[in-house]
Amino acid sequence: MKELNYVGKSVLRKDGPDKVTGRALYTVDTRLPGMLVGRILRSPHPHARILNIETSLAERVSGVKAIITSQETLGVKHGFVETPRYPADQHCIAHDRVRFVGEEVAAVAATDEYAAEEALSLIKVDYEPLPAVFDPEEAMQPDAPEIHPSHPKVREPYHNIGGKTESGWGDLEKGFAESYLVVENRYESHLRTHGYLEPQATVASFEPEGKLNVWTSSQGPFIKRMKLAKTLGLPQSAVRVHKAYVGGAFGGKIDLFSHEYCAALLSMKCGRPVKIVASRPEMFAAYRHGQPMIVHLKTGVAKDGTLLAQEYRVINNCGAYRGSGVVVIFLAWGFAMLPYRVPNLSYEGYAVFTNNPVRAPQRGHGAPQVRFAVESQLDMIAEELGIDPIDIRLINSRQSGEVLPNGDNVHNCGLSDCIKMADEHTNFKSTYGKSRRVPDSKERYRRGIGIGVSSYFGGSLIYPNSSSVAVKMNDDGSATILTGAMDIGQGAETILCQIVAEEIKVPVNELQVIAADTETTPVDIGSWISGNAYVTGNAAREAGAEIRRKLLELASDKLEADIEDLVLEDKTAYVMGAPDVRVTYTELVAASISKHRGDPLIGEGHWRTMRDEPTHPSLATTKGRWSENYAFDAQVAEVEVDTETGVIRLLKAVTAHDCGFPINPMLVEGQIDGQVSMALGHAFMEEVLMKDGFTLNPTWLEYHMPCIHNVAVSEHLDVITESYEVGRPYRTKEVGEGYVSAILAAIGNAIYDAVGVRLDTTPFTPEKILKALGKIQ
Amino acid sequence: MKIVIELSVNGDSYEVAVEPQTTLTECLRDHLGLMGTKEACGTGECGSCTVWADGRPILSCLVLAADCQQMEITTIEGYPGHGTIKVLQQKFQEKGAVQCGFCTSGMILTSAALLKKNSRPTEDEIRKALEGNLCRCTGYNKIFQAVQAASEQLSGESVEEAAK
Repeated sequence: MKELNYVGKSVLRKDGPDKVTGRALYTVDTRLPGMLVGRILRSPHPHARILNIETSLAERVSGVKAIITSQETLGVKHGFVETPRYPADQHCIAHDRVRFVGEEVAAVAATDEYAAEEALSLIKVDYEPLPAVFDPEEAMQPDAPEIHPSHPKVREPYHNIGGKTESGWGDLEKGFAESYLVVENRYESHLRTHGYLEPQATVASFEPEGKLNVWTSSQGPFIKRMKLAKTLGLPQSAVRVHKAYVGGAFGGKIDLFSHEYCAALLSMKCGRPVKIVASRPEMFAAYRHGQPMIVHLKTGVAKDGTLLAQEYRVINNCGAYRGSGVVVIFLAWGFAMLPYRVPNLSYEGYAVFTNNPVRAPQRGHGAPQVRFAVESQLDMIAEELGIDPIDIRLINSRQSGEVLPNGDNVHNCGLSDCIKMADEHTNFKSTYGKSRRVPDSKERYRRGIGIGVSSYFGGSLIYPNSSSVAVKMNDDGSATILTGAMDIGQGAETILCQIVAEEIKVPVNELQVIAADTETTPVDIGSWISGNAYVTGNAAREAGAEIRRKLLELASDKLEADIEDLVLEDKTAYVMGAPDVRVTYTELVAASISKHRGDPLIGEGHWRTMRDEPTHPSLATTKGRWSENYAFDAQVAEVEVDTETGVIRLLKAVTAHDCGFPINPMLVEGQIDGQVSMALGHAFMEEVLMKDGFTLNPTWLEYHMPCIHNVAVSEHLDVITESYEVGRPYRTKEVGEGYVSAILAAIGNAIYDAVGVRLDTTPFTPEKILKALGKIQ
Repeated sequence: MKIVIELSVNGDSYEVAVEPQTTLTECLRDHLGLMGTKEACGTGECGSCTVWADGRPILSCLVLAADCQQMEITTIEGYPGHGTIKVLQQKFQEKGAVQCGFCTSGMILTSAALLKKNSRPTEDEIRKALEGNLCRCTGYNKIFQAVQAASEQLSGESVEEAAK
């Protein structure tokens, strides 16, 4: 393999200088002349009919320029999913009914926040409170209050079913009948938030000629443009979503949000720019968190630990509208299918409406919940059978070239190597069980080790389905990349530069990036489907390759040599073996302009995953292809349990992962460390506490995210299964959200190893530990 | 009713008309256009709004602009060539301590205040100094390493040597 100059290196971030000097401008930093402040009036009821809204007093407040309620809207609904089966179900501003505390009822634009707040306090809304329900299993009961009618295609007599996914293969009954051991458990995951630092924020500026300019903290501008245009009744050509830096997202900034719509409509109404920034308590109480999920899991195994049958019943507490609730019950099926071979499997997942805020994707989107269930139960099975946790995973792990039940191929799969490396690196086999071998230990601090396994898809087909990249050469031999990719902190712009640099041999620091602007950059899948490195990366590679071809042709003329004998290096070309005679890119660009009638060398590249698939798989039946590159990982957790206080510390997290190959190892490590830290928070510290639809802990003082005192040692072991070669498509895998899952399960398993107590609900709080240890009632 | 206050920020003097309840964060951002100071919570929980008042790190969202008239305020935009801050800016990039960047200004100013006072902090002293600064992206390991690397460069010896 030829040596790589830019790909595979820990190149420094392109946006680093902007970010360390405070020059990086985020949506919250966007200011326009004459800009107004927007504020939103929210429902104080979890479920109520809106009888009347009176805004006349508020309109008289000095400085108020516009007030909107659902009366001012076109009544076009939106949804995270908009398909014939799952049509859009949420008004941008509540119409005649509110279904969760915090639902948007009206919005105001005023010259300053004081006037805006005063106006909000003077809007009079008459509500007729309705019975509400918050627990999904209660909401399914026939006598539960109806939030929305159950989906017409769901046959069971349940209430409030927003959607259902059903899938399976093999013969479940036969599988259980042949099993040596069958176990059944129920696992429950809790409500946790994304915790992005930059608040949800939007600036909208409507020009009287009909153009709407939008800056918004998001994970991709193209889906925002599509949804804003649709709900506002504008052509897409009238909506421009501009680039701004994004201060974290983690899944929480994908879909259309009401504040984005309100900022736009307010600006359209009063003809001035409007900025809406959500407060932290507002984000905690009314915005979208992750998906609390109940997983019933019945598993049958042979005596040697081989999985024979699995039956899943998943219930997702979906909130008041579908949101991504019908996606997560589809994805949960996928995370059940992925890392292990199960010959007979049945899956049913329900998204159940409750009077809680709408749910969003959250890093891992269903994987942490499913892997927690599967990996916990697998350790119980292993113990029952007297098998090591490592061996039972190796027996069942998928291998390279395997075709999944949905028709996808896992291609090069490093899972077994991940498990083996994690074992060897941590001395797992000899450490595991040590603590429990002294059952009457009087030691206050007990240590344990646990392992979890996970797999995650990279890219899938969902609007806008594809990415394009353009690269244009400049006179001086530098180049400019145009991409719709949105760098949300993961380093999208940096890796695209590395790929283009590798193809055309222009140093990364001489590449400029114009990104994430619906008007000036080509379409992009967005930074929310774990496909940036693969889909947009391959588009960038193709764009670079086109320039490379043209450069080589021009150099071949200039140097009077065959293309095969030419070498490109650092903005020059030379004949192999004769590096002293070089032609510069400056000369080649000039030659192209004169020879090719003005062509300054522009390359374009396009990529779509699974190019032969017409559309995304069915959310109802899972039929259809899902992804063509799956990442795998095994993670080991070492914990210490204080048996007096019940407080647990994650001492060390080891991540052995197959991400294909790392385009930028430092950025990959950053993703792993961030996910370990997030899982640590979810495991021990973080829970959005709600009572009757109200959020009880809507600040970071009460909702504890990890701080620098809550850091675990994070070690990384690379299992490289793919390679990069100039001029050829590559298949790399995702690293942005797959590593938040197995470590959570591993922590649960390590706690069991430390103190012999198995928790089947997250988070692992001191209270639960002490109860399980019999130290408190 | 607005009041006119005098502020000294990054060595420059300003007269600004603010509300009595305007915070220093709001004044820096909305009145002076110094957007490097970020606000993520507005209630002193995250450290994103950290600036220096007379060389000491403070949470600018918790102080009123009107109360800062006798102080020298320094933001991330101040002293671009300043030694400690410059070294930290470099190390944060080299060590991968920057992802989304929203906490970065606060992290660098807090770290710089520590290193100016104590160029060879212990691990515990680094953690103590940064305990009020939240970062959701990095998990802190690389931020910690960046501060250590800056400390080594500024003090001219490695942390291991210093511990001896």
